[in-house]
Amino acid sequence: MFSYIVKRILAAIATVLLVMTITFFLMNAIPGSPFLTEKSTPQQIELANEKYGLNEPYIIQLKNYVVNYFKGDLGVSLKMQEGADVGTIIFGQNKFLISIKLGLLSLLTSIILGIPLGCYAAYHRGSWIDGLLRVITTVGVAVPTFVLAAVLLIVFAVKLGWLPTLSGSLDNPLAYIMPVISLAFYDICYIAKLTRTSMLDAINQDYIRTAKAKGVKNKWIVLKHALRNSLIPVVTFLGPLTAGIITGSFVVETTFSIPGLGKYFVESVLNRDYPIIMATTVLLASLVIFMNLVVDIVYKFIDPRITYTSKEA
Amino acid sequence: MKKIVALVLMACMVFALAACGDKDEAKNEGPFVVNACIASEPETIDPGLASSIDASTYTLHQFEGLMKYKMNGNTVDESGNVIDTEVVEGQAASYEVSDDLKTYTFKLRDDIFWSDGEPVKADDFVYSWQRLVDPKNAADYGYFLDGIVLNAAAIQAKEKKVTELGIKALDEKTLEITLESPCPYFLEICAFASLVPLRKDVIEEKGKNWTDPENIVVNGAYKLTEWVHDSCLKFAPNEKYYDVANLGPSEINFWLSKDQTAIISAYQTGEWDYVESFPTDMTATLQSSGDCFIDPYVGTYFLYINCDKVKDWRVRAAMALCVDRENLVTNATQAGEVPAKGLVAAGILDSKGEDFAANTPGIGAIYNQLQDKYPDYDLSSYEDCCELAKKLYKEAVDDGKWNPKTTLVYNFNTDDKHKAIAEACGQDWKTVLGLNITLANQEWNTYTAGLGEHTFGLARMGWIADYNDPITYLEIMATGNSYNYGLYTNKDLDKMINEAKAMPAGEDRDKKLHDAETAIFSEGGFPLIPLYYYTLPYCNKKIGNIGYTKMGYHFFQYAKPAK
Repeated sequence: MFSYIVKRILAAIATVLLVMTITFFLMNAIPGSPFLTEKSTPQQIELANEKYGLNEPYIIQLKNYVVNYFKGDLGVSLKMQEGADVGTIIFGQNKFLISIKLGLLSLLTSIILGIPLGCYAAYHRGSWIDGLLRVITTVGVAVPTFVLAAVLLIVFAVKLGWLPTLSGSLDNPLAYIMPVISLAFYDICYIAKLTRTSMLDAINQDYIRTAKAKGVKNKWIVLKHALRNSLIPVVTFLGPLTAGIITGSFVVETTFSIPGLGKYFVESVLNRDYPIIMATTVLLASLVIFMNLVVDIVYKFIDPRITYTSKEA
Repeated sequence: MKKIVALVLMACMVFALAACGDKDEAKNEGPFVVNACIASEPETIDPGLASSIDASTYTLHQFEGLMKYKMNGNTVDESGNVIDTEVVEGQAASYEVSDDLKTYTFKLRDDIFWSDGEPVKADDFVYSWQRLVDPKNAADYGYFLDGIVLNAAAIQAKEKKVTELGIKALDEKTLEITLESPCPYFLEICAFASLVPLRKDVIEEKGKNWTDPENIVVNGAYKLTEWVHDSCLKFAPNEKYYDVANLGPSEINFWLSKDQTAIISAYQTGEWDYVESFPTDMTATLQSSGDCFIDPYVGTYFLYINCDKVKDWRVRAAMALCVDRENLVTNATQAGEVPAKGLVAAGILDSKGEDFAANTPGIGAIYNQLQDKYPDYDLSSYEDCCELAKKLYKEAVDDGKWNPKTTLVYNFNTDDKHKAIAEACGQDWKTVLGLNITLANQEWNTYTAGLGEHTFGLARMGWIADYNDPITYLEIMATGNSYNYGLYTNKDLDKMINEAKAMPAGEDRDKKLHDAETAIFSEGGFPLIPLYYYTLPYCNKKIGNIGYTKMGYHFFQYAKPAK
């Protein structure tokens, strides 16, 4: 197990380096410049390129970036917060923390609601509740987040006045409600659908029939036997979901005026803010790699039959 | 189960009501606070590096230049809450101009101090102006003093040292500025946000963090006290400001957002008092409810025509003539815009202080020369404009100068408004001329890169004036100008612009500038299609005594609760 984790960490570092290199060349391949405005002159752009070292050959720029990255220097923003340290923008201004808080709460909500709803629907397959849940979850995965967020904002903040319009830095517990619902709704529905399908699959297995034949109560069959096995595909989905939910909150953060990191994932590309593109992409890649590692380890606890190496097998 | 759900819902409602109660109480009894939203997070609030209207607005609340914008008592719109401004002495107590109009000597006030108590010195202006033009800083507005202050252009081109800029401190309170040639709008640019004084010691000590609330040192009316990035900039009165006793709000909060639904929601719930961005289709409703007002804004929306791709002027003129501008502002843009009759925006003043565009002789710069050449058409009517457009277009086709099967690519950056405008124009060209257009909706960087590479057939542009003089528009069309994206060349126009630049303000200069504008829309010309003059819609009911310049800056330093 230990040697497996070490190998995975080494592979993760290599993957991050690869992501860095590919991102660097891709972002430089798209046309434009962070310094292009309606009024920018070629002379101004040249001076700005010189100021930030963008006139150096690409390979030198990449080498400088990688060296500085491993020294903890992520460079400075070229556009979105011109001159500010990218590390400070992401971590010092609490943007990552705010996005993490919102993302984890949404993730928790998705799991707490999604899995039981899926189980309940599977257990009561064919009932009216199952039908209703299927309608809701199908609508849930079809409604775009920005529509849901705007509807919630208009109904609960503007019309009813129950919840604050501006969620700000999420200092007020009420400020979480609409952003979390907006961000988690899709995932609740998706997890519920996924759980229902895999639960139905598990319920039809021989070992469940055996358990029933032994006279084990239905509740225990579901909780102890069926659920554990049906969680494998859900856990697999949770890996990328965790990274995505933390970093993909752009629409929700914009609609509810939350100063998180979501905006920087999207707008850095539009603004050609190269250091922010690099930092956010590498951060996202690291999160995905880390979550996949966590998921792999969690597999072992859910299903001890799963092995990590060919030797163990 | 039902009881638990009911209890949870009740608890939520109690929390919500409690929160609402606190908020209302605070608003009624607390000090006067302005909550405004004019834009999202600024790229920077460093006056020497910033170039956006919002960043300049924040600068002008924190810093004061040699001159400043002062309210003159004239209301700008029917709300009565927005007051026009004029440029008067700010940090300068007085100034003198040499006989050749090329040297300005400013005497600074004795009672001006930085927020840390240090006196404001002439050297602070010298440092700031030199920093602006210093090529190593690569400021967006580094070119701003080119052709105005002595050696500015040469310094930007790295041909001279920054110390050779035409500005020097004669003593602690006396500043001498030497110009390249007489500049009628020089005093106005002395109020410009990029030219406020800065503290060399603070910037050198704090580096790029010098604009953080804990580091910033200002000489203006308000000072930044808190900056939650992507959320809010909070300002409080600067106790060292010479007019602090007369300032209005105890706090000015500039909220940072660009989501129109979120912005109008915050306004409607009363969390924000003043907003400048909201869904366009809500404008009429908000106007009828007495929330929305529309202020004049010095800017022209126009389309570049690539003169390399549309070589015959008659085709270009035909395209300019057959755009139904009334329909455009009524149905496509819907924010009270004014149909353009020339390139120079409404609100730009001539030497008599009157509107340059309104004082254009005849029926407007676009039409004047054609009206003289084709007197049988009444170009004040859209129908006749279309008839003349058809005639000119047909002539070009018949002469073999234009292939009617050509499809022009119309570039615009992604935005619903730009798209609506492009579609309306395309429809007019198709209906009247049978001309085919391909709309190219591009993200910002691709669009601006396309401008510089001249890859477009047509491309949109919004030109907001930096200072109130017609030259800021007309020189765009000079040969070789960086913004002459359509590659238009007219030696007569170049000559007129150069002459006007060297002339003192007066009727002769006004005439020269009017002639220059007409030359752009004469035979051989029409390198662009002016569509409309900008306006600035905003929502506000609660705040009164807001200062405004037609350059788009709103000032809240002296704001009061609206009557």
